[in-house]
Amino acid sequence: MNPLVAVVLIGVVMVVSVYLVAVIDTAVETRVSGGRGYARAWLAPISRAARLALQRRTVTERPDAEAWVLGPALLGGLAAVALTSIPFAPGVDVADIPAGIVLFGAALLQVMVAVVLHGWGANSVFPLLGAFRMAAVGLSMGIPFSLVLITTAIPAESLSVGAIIASQEGVWNVLRQPIGLPVYLITALGFSFWGPLQLPDGADLAGGTSAEISGTALLVWRIARASILVSLAAMGAAAFLGGYLGPWLPGWLWMIVKTMGLAALMIWSGHRIARARMESVVLLGWTVLLPVALVDVFVSGALTL
Amino acid sequence: MNLISDILFWVFSVAAVVTGLLVFITDSMVRAAYWLMASFVAVGGILMILDAQFLGLILILMMAGEMTIMAIFMVMFMMNPAGLNPMTMVHQHRTSIVAGAGAFVALAAVGLLAEFPDRPVPPGVDPTVDLGVELLGESMLIFESAGVALLAVMIGAVALVSKRGRYGIAEEGSEEPSLEMSEE
Amino acid sequence: MSLEALLVVSAALFGVGVYGALSQQSFVMIMMGLELMLNGAILAVVAFWWGSTGGNPEGQLLAVVVLAVMAIEAAIGFALVANVYRVRKADISEKLRRLRH
Repeated sequence: MNPLVAVVLIGVVMVVSVYLVAVIDTAVETRVSGGRGYARAWLAPISRAARLALQRRTVTERPDAEAWVLGPALLGGLAAVALTSIPFAPGVDVADIPAGIVLFGAALLQVMVAVVLHGWGANSVFPLLGAFRMAAVGLSMGIPFSLVLITTAIPAESLSVGAIIASQEGVWNVLRQPIGLPVYLITALGFSFWGPLQLPDGADLAGGTSAEISGTALLVWRIARASILVSLAAMGAAAFLGGYLGPWLPGWLWMIVKTMGLAALMIWSGHRIARARMESVVLLGWTVLLPVALVDVFVSGALTL
Repeated sequence: MNLISDILFWVFSVAAVVTGLLVFITDSMVRAAYWLMASFVAVGGILMILDAQFLGLILILMMAGEMTIMAIFMVMFMMNPAGLNPMTMVHQHRTSIVAGAGAFVALAAVGLLAEFPDRPVPPGVDPTVDLGVELLGESMLIFESAGVALLAVMIGAVALVSKRGRYGIAEEGSEEPSLEMSEE
Repeated sequence: MSLEALLVVSAALFGVGVYGALSQQSFVMIMMGLELMLNGAILAVVAFWWGSTGGNPEGQLLAVVVLAVMAIEAAIGFALVANVYRVRKADISEKLRRLRH
């Protein structure tokens, strides 16, 4: 694919999907709190963004300025890199390389680095605690995340995301590997620190890694976080729900529907499920998700044989 | 295409060495850990240019977790955890510089002067498939040995750091180690 | 891009690693030096696989072994750092004088 086209494609996908995530978030919030008037869900994200763009930026005493700026930028960049490995429609992909799913996993595990840098840079207590939390969540979720993701490559006999989608022509991976998608979604919440796993910058830490930022810095941070959520939802749709495969509708529309469906599920969880505690998250990762993910690997390996 | 991969190779090479040096020059321990990770990412990029796509990506994937742990260990175990103050902690500095330069010169001389067979990877080979077949085929014993070694290390590491002794928490009633410097 | 250039780059990485491992006082910084040496080693191994073995997969296998060595070094290193701090309150190598003759 032409590099310029690729940059434009990824840019458009990120802008549109981040806006949709914000709209869904507002709509779910309205629904859950019993309010009415979904029309404002379309405009509320824009006015929120405008308010943040006009807000004054705060600074701390002697921050590690470069790391502080690099954090959000790296987070957004990683979301873009992760999106390149996913075909959006038959033949429409930026880099459907032979080891595409490893590229996605590598990009997502670097999210830890971006968040730790962001928390470290502020030179303040709550952001640093948020950074430590991200390391703990990321390390306990990382292995089950990689395992369930790599398991989808077993029936495809290829690490390329395009081949993984093509292998789901008859039956989707969500039916073939029923354990995979739930584990993937829980760990995805951890890596996008969204919903019940919004621990690194959760409200219980007064904003955690984003406690000391405001204005455009906060806007960029939220956009980057939403784009990580989108890339995780897109990979979930591609690896477990057959990506662009589906009857009647054109492929790209199926991809959007599935991606936004998974994103909506994760966003919904944030408004309905209480935030988990750190201890229970680490315990869940190591003692439940990891063995379950191993069972997933063994069972689908045996079935493929 | 060849030109692009050549340019990328030199960019990644310079980046790998410069960030490797910055690890020991920078004054912030978190930065030191992540400069090292940048060096690994650059080497991962070179591996990807060399068609070893899987190895390059696995290197980048592994290092994300390892360097985060390293950054946290730096913050935990350094006496000056504020992190942005000067932090040059070196000994036998001149000897080390000579040793490092000597190692570089000797190894580079081997690389430049020795004759190595010129047998590039033939086109049409899928290195990832090759590696998979090799790992679970002829060389399975080596791969499994690495796995068993890792398991042994995991058990050893847990035994080393575990606070829990045979009759409960080992340090029950004792004090946590203080942050003050002990007398020499 | 040639085998020679790759080997020079890996030699440079190894040299920087040697300097770091010998000069640093902090245990974690010493480990960083070791990791950097292994980084150079991995680059050299894959370079030889690429330029000199005709695509023999055993070259890649050796790189996987180096990756395992790296993980082992990190795990044991971190465990020792934590343990030595707990037992001797030491965070730099100068504090472990009992190991001297």
